[in-house]
Amino acid sequence: MKWLVLSLALLAALLAAVTLGPAAVPAGQLFHSAIFWDLRLPRALLALLVGGSLGAAGASLQSLVRNPLADPFLLGLSGGAGLGAVLAIALHLGGAWTLPLAAFAGALLALGLVFRLGLVGGSALDPRVLLLGGVAVGAFCGAVTTAVVSLAEASALRNAYLWLWGGLSGASWDTVTLVAVYVPIPLVVLLAAARPLDLLTLGEEPARYLGTDVAVTRRRVYLAASLLTAAAVAVAGVIGFVGLIVPHLGRALFGGRHRALLPASFLAGGILLLLADTLARTAVAPRELPVGVVTALVGVPLFVLLLRRWTAA
Amino acid sequence: MRRCAQLLVLLALACRPAERGASAGDAPAERIVSLAPSLTELLFALGAGSQLVGRTVYCLYPPAARAVPSVGDGLNPSVEAIAARHPDLVLLYRSPQTETAARQLAALGIPTMLLRDDRMEDVARTARLLGHATGHPAAGDSIARVIDSLVTAPIPPPSARIAFVVWDAPPIVIGSGSYLDELVSMAGAENVFHDLHTPSATVSLETIASRDPDWIAILRDSSSAEPPAWAGRREWRTVRAVREGRFLILPAELFGQPSPRAPESVAFLARFLNHSSLPASQ
Repeated sequence: MKWLVLSLALLAALLAAVTLGPAAVPAGQLFHSAIFWDLRLPRALLALLVGGSLGAAGASLQSLVRNPLADPFLLGLSGGAGLGAVLAIALHLGGAWTLPLAAFAGALLALGLVFRLGLVGGSALDPRVLLLGGVAVGAFCGAVTTAVVSLAEASALRNAYLWLWGGLSGASWDTVTLVAVYVPIPLVVLLAAARPLDLLTLGEEPARYLGTDVAVTRRRVYLAASLLTAAAVAVAGVIGFVGLIVPHLGRALFGGRHRALLPASFLAGGILLLLADTLARTAVAPRELPVGVVTALVGVPLFVLLLRRWTAA
Repeated sequence: MRRCAQLLVLLALACRPAERGASAGDAPAERIVSLAPSLTELLFALGAGSQLVGRTVYCLYPPAARAVPSVGDGLNPSVEAIAARHPDLVLLYRSPQTETAARQLAALGIPTMLLRDDRMEDVARTARLLGHATGHPAAGDSIARVIDSLVTAPIPPPSARIAFVVWDAPPIVIGSGSYLDELVSMAGAENVFHDLHTPSATVSLETIASRDPDWIAILRDSSSAEPPAWAGRREWRTVRAVREGRFLILPAELFGQPSPRAPESVAFLARFLNHSSLPASQ
């Protein structure tokens, strides 16, 4: 029943995304219009994939670090992606794929640094070290970014920020294809770790007694979730709140078992981002809002509502 | 592309009329620091180029301006670098940061003028103001008269529809609160985003596609006539003008800032539109 509702909501969100827009396309001509095929459809599919990736990454990271505040971007990836994009622009690297690739490389660099920090002193990705390392690496990347921004030509770097917060406006069939091929791999890794993740939420000791290889699980989950986030930031920039709120919604509706929680978070993340992007495109048409602003505007009240329910309970 | 965005930075800072800051005194200024490319150009047009002792790194027109020492960035000025030029007048583009800098300069006893020249009318007003402040009032009046006659000339009926694209992802276009919008209407064309009252705005690609401009105008530093790199992307090809390769590539040096050469810009645009009659391709 819950799955049916989620699937129907996804269908409705997809339908809204491809039928609503600032350009008036008559319903009868929808399937014959380039606006539908080349703009709305790839953008909707990208929103679904990116939102889903953020939702699933958020759910697994929250379980991994056993912290309800964990967000895919808390572990320094957005800082790394921003630095990559800003460096690419400051160095005048050209080409259509330069910015996404540079952002992806930057996110991978941050990922590697945090991962390495997490292994310091044989701590085997201690959640506290991961969180602190993520925040530290993110802040460091932010500082280097600001240094580059203040030294390079101001106008060019404004563009880096525009791109980094630009959301899904760069969607094309190329990006959709790329993401659709890439995303299932880390997703499958996460799904395969569903059972160990269940045990890990009980605590490190109980999980070990119940036969989980804690170190291996942590490494796989951290890498898979981070790779999902890095791809999301490379094609859609930094989109906040989806990865933070969706897992909580998922847990409220589907419980804490990851076999259900991860797919549910993927679907719910996709739905949330589809709706947010549709709003971003239409609310102030013909102008467009950054989709990250909309996810925060929708997400924060939702989050406050959830918080109230938990603290009341 | 970068230069287009630079223009955007200038345009995005909104548009208020030129204003006068701290008094510049009665005697003509002899050592002037200009912190905006448009003001530097205007000084040279007034014949006050030899009184200029400092400019921003972006002040590259006229070529003679490059010989003047740079004091760095104009929107985020270094008060110390400016003071080191011992100016008796500093011209700033009015914005919150430059207002702070102007206060600091005033505290050092350096006279400043905060000016905002975003629209065509502002060029005339600023030309008169600077003409008086630099001891070239006749030149200032003459530039102002030329601009005034351009502003008051009847607007020709639009014969082509143009969209200015300043950035591709996210797509950013020029709205009606801008100098470029004025140039377009004076040249007998219509900015399809005239209804957006800001200097520039982020819009979705499908809005550009559905407004269906005849031309996509782009500002560029180099003289290359190649279409921009994003023109080949499938999502951009939903825009008819992009599909048909109808790009109107304008020299940023002439169009990138409000300028006393506005009549030249209008003529350039009008000539282009006349020579490339629709719907034949460029």
